[in-house]
Amino acid sequence: MMDTQSIKTIIKQSISRVTGIPAETISDSASYEGDLGLDSLSILEIAVDVENHFKFQASDDELTSIRTVEETVDLVRRRLCAEVA
Amino acid sequence: MTSTTAVVVTGIGLVTPIGTGRQRFWDALMAGHSGFGPVKSFDTGGFGVHLGAEIADFNPRDYVFALDPETIGRSSHLAIAAARLALQDGLLELDKTDRRRAGVCVGTTSGEPHFIERFDDHYVSGELERVGKEFITRYPCHVVPGHVAKELGLAGEAMMIPTACAAGNYAIAHASDLLRARKTDFMLAGGADSFSRITYTGFARLGAIAPEVCQPFDRNRKGMVPGEGAAMLLLELKERAIARGARIYCEIGGYGLSCDAHHMTAAHPQGEGAARAMNIALTKSGVAPSQVDYISAHGTGTPTNDRLETIAVKKTFGQLAYEIPISSIKSMLGHTMGAASAIEAAACALAITEGRIPPTMNWVSKDPECDLDYVPNVSRARDVRVAMNNAYAFGGNNSSLILTASSA
Amino acid sequence: MGVISSLGDSPALLHSALCQGRTALHPVQEPGFDDLTCRQAGHISAFHPEVYLPEKNLRPLDRTGQLVVCAAKLALVNSGWTADKLGAHDVGLVLGTMFGSVHTISKFDRHALIQGPSYASPMDFANTVINAAAGQTAIWHKLRGINSTIACGSTSGLVALGYATDLIRYGHQIAVLAGGADEFCFESFCGFERAGLLYGNGEGRPVPFDHRRTGFALGEAAGLLMLEDWEAAVSRGANILAEIRGYGSTYNPVSDQSGNESDAIVRAIQAATEDAALSLVEIDCISASANGSVNLDRDEAFAVKTLWNGYSSLVPITAIKSMVGETLGASGVLQAIDLVETMRTGQLPGIAGLDEFEPTLPSLDICRHERSIRVRSGLVNSIGFDGHACALLISKPQDPN
Repeated sequence: MMDTQSIKTIIKQSISRVTGIPAETISDSASYEGDLGLDSLSILEIAVDVENHFKFQASDDELTSIRTVEETVDLVRRRLCAEVA
Repeated sequence: MTSTTAVVVTGIGLVTPIGTGRQRFWDALMAGHSGFGPVKSFDTGGFGVHLGAEIADFNPRDYVFALDPETIGRSSHLAIAAARLALQDGLLELDKTDRRRAGVCVGTTSGEPHFIERFDDHYVSGELERVGKEFITRYPCHVVPGHVAKELGLAGEAMMIPTACAAGNYAIAHASDLLRARKTDFMLAGGADSFSRITYTGFARLGAIAPEVCQPFDRNRKGMVPGEGAAMLLLELKERAIARGARIYCEIGGYGLSCDAHHMTAAHPQGEGAARAMNIALTKSGVAPSQVDYISAHGTGTPTNDRLETIAVKKTFGQLAYEIPISSIKSMLGHTMGAASAIEAAACALAITEGRIPPTMNWVSKDPECDLDYVPNVSRARDVRVAMNNAYAFGGNNSSLILTASSA
Repeated sequence: MGVISSLGDSPALLHSALCQGRTALHPVQEPGFDDLTCRQAGHISAFHPEVYLPEKNLRPLDRTGQLVVCAAKLALVNSGWTADKLGAHDVGLVLGTMFGSVHTISKFDRHALIQGPSYASPMDFANTVINAAAGQTAIWHKLRGINSTIACGSTSGLVALGYATDLIRYGHQIAVLAGGADEFCFESFCGFERAGLLYGNGEGRPVPFDHRRTGFALGEAAGLLMLEDWEAAVSRGANILAEIRGYGSTYNPVSDQSGNESDAIVRAIQAATEDAALSLVEIDCISASANGSVNLDRDEAFAVKTLWNGYSSLVPITAIKSMVGETLGASGVLQAIDLVETMRTGQLPGIAGLDEFEPTLPSLDICRHERSIRVRSGLVNSIGFDGHACALLISKPQDPN
């Protein structure tokens, strides 16, 4: 399975596409609402973009529950394990 | 109380998932009929949801005569049908009027989506050469009122107000302003939308579509059900209606329009904009909150809308909110998009004349955050002298329209 | 007033470019347009929204949204509506547009078709509704009053100005930001080309009233006017640029693109003069809708002649689409902005590129080159290719004393 660092990079690239913030300046612990000032639509956009990249489908509950970069990484890891298992 | 320069409803035309024509629609509404079923217009195989409110057995040739139905889209078919039905219902013969002073105003969310969907099918298959010259004359949403005007020979204003899920209210509001200003003698005003793959895809992606049932205000509600339909109200000044012996359903009172200026797809968390729209509508109508007998809710059935709408109603009416019946006919019709608030305005007009309030169907268990009287499951007899029709849209557009009984 | 156009991002720059006869047309070099025969358009090559809104993330907006949000910023600054003032009042927004963003709608749909519906873009979906740009602009500038979108084809912007004027007259709003916008995109460009409405290529000429005209050139723009109740504007010390006196909006139910729109145009102008309580002799110039369309330009010329026939002096006519192209929902608003500038500067732009006025058209006072003019009241026409006609009358502000 892909390593955590690579997953983070892809997630940050997705955030960058949606926010215009350079990927390398986004911290691992950044929260979408608090630190990055994103509304619910932008957060969902990032989540769907990440899903599309990794080709999994999260449930609506999972998608609406991710609040930080780290939580998104965890979701991807769980999903990638699930797909492989 | 009512003056002869009041704007009145003299005809109602409806094409809906629970019935076409005023009487069929009303009977179905009172009986709590459901317009839901598995989506047939396109393959929902790749979606996690499959429920829609489509209109079955609609033949455009029953209503479209001057234009060739093959050359115009389904939203235009539905709008023309509703317009013809409204004229017939209002016993108005256009040949006896000055057509330069007869106009049409339609609201919509998608316009004629099938044409852009076909364009995209060609685009994706690398066959753009198959896009023909008719794309530009059939697709842009302004063609819908244009087709109604062409079909009926109307030469006044032909306007499209594409304010999405609140558009019907906007169209009726604008038409009433034109009539009061005496810029026109007759207006056909309402909304139309046909079932759209694009709309369905978007709402599904937002997680907003209910998997099994639409149950507004219910504790276990899971979402809305996209639908299609059209409604047109024939509007004129009261003095003209009386002079030609027309039946008057009700009067259009004032209206309130506001913008949350907060979020594109989610309403203001304190219901601020929606409450403002309601208050403006009441003030403009000269109606006190205590005089409202019925509220037709936006009530889509999504967890968020119904909760925030309840907050907004309480914000506007205070404790009175608990005494005013409020129901959502989307529990039967689904969300007919731009047509919704026009169909709901028609339902308000009929509630006033019939003295009955439509129910909110599929209500099973109480949500502590939605604790108003939603007229659960059974229609109710009630003398309705004042009805308020609320509708909210993407972009934070809020609308409230007041309809009142007309005293002779 | 605020404007983002291919000839400048201020009313003064736009007007100056028009008076100089500069054309906005340039080659379409974007990828994906190669199979289309029409190779020139009036799109804005150098639009940088971050120039107007440097501190904000503009990604949630599509191009149409960005054009409108930026034009709104310019109009709000120009009219003196600060953030504080906006916080204290519910200012409205009325936007005329033909497509909203057909590009966003198509992009959303195609992405879902290719990737599957579970990967459809939520952000794009929010921008697929035709009232998206108006909604986004309200969010960005805290415009909490009446927010409406008008779609009447290429007359949308002018109709929006009329609709907004009525909102103020009927006491629904004290102040409304009103105008129109349409972006340049492949989808609409392709559609117009397929319909044979673009001027084509090679020998084609998108020149209003020209003997060899073959169709219009597609442009893009966003333009907004801050409209206010007169007394409220005076009491807040606003600089009043002009007064909207009245408008007329009609439809031609037998429109079939064969050249039979004259009656609807005549009725729209008559309705405007009635609404404005102005007579034809008081109109000092006309900003025509003419854009190089073979039939529409003719219909407009005959309509004007029908109305002004018998008056001893003909009214000067200009047609700015000769330079800025057909900007659809923004078109009538650009014309209105230019008319206000004409009132201020005393210069009426000419119709650039007009070599030979079509001989079969009635004789009119066509302004071929920039000329000095004193305009107290002017008429703006906006005519659609499929039946809509709108006319708006604007006057210099009257000194109440």
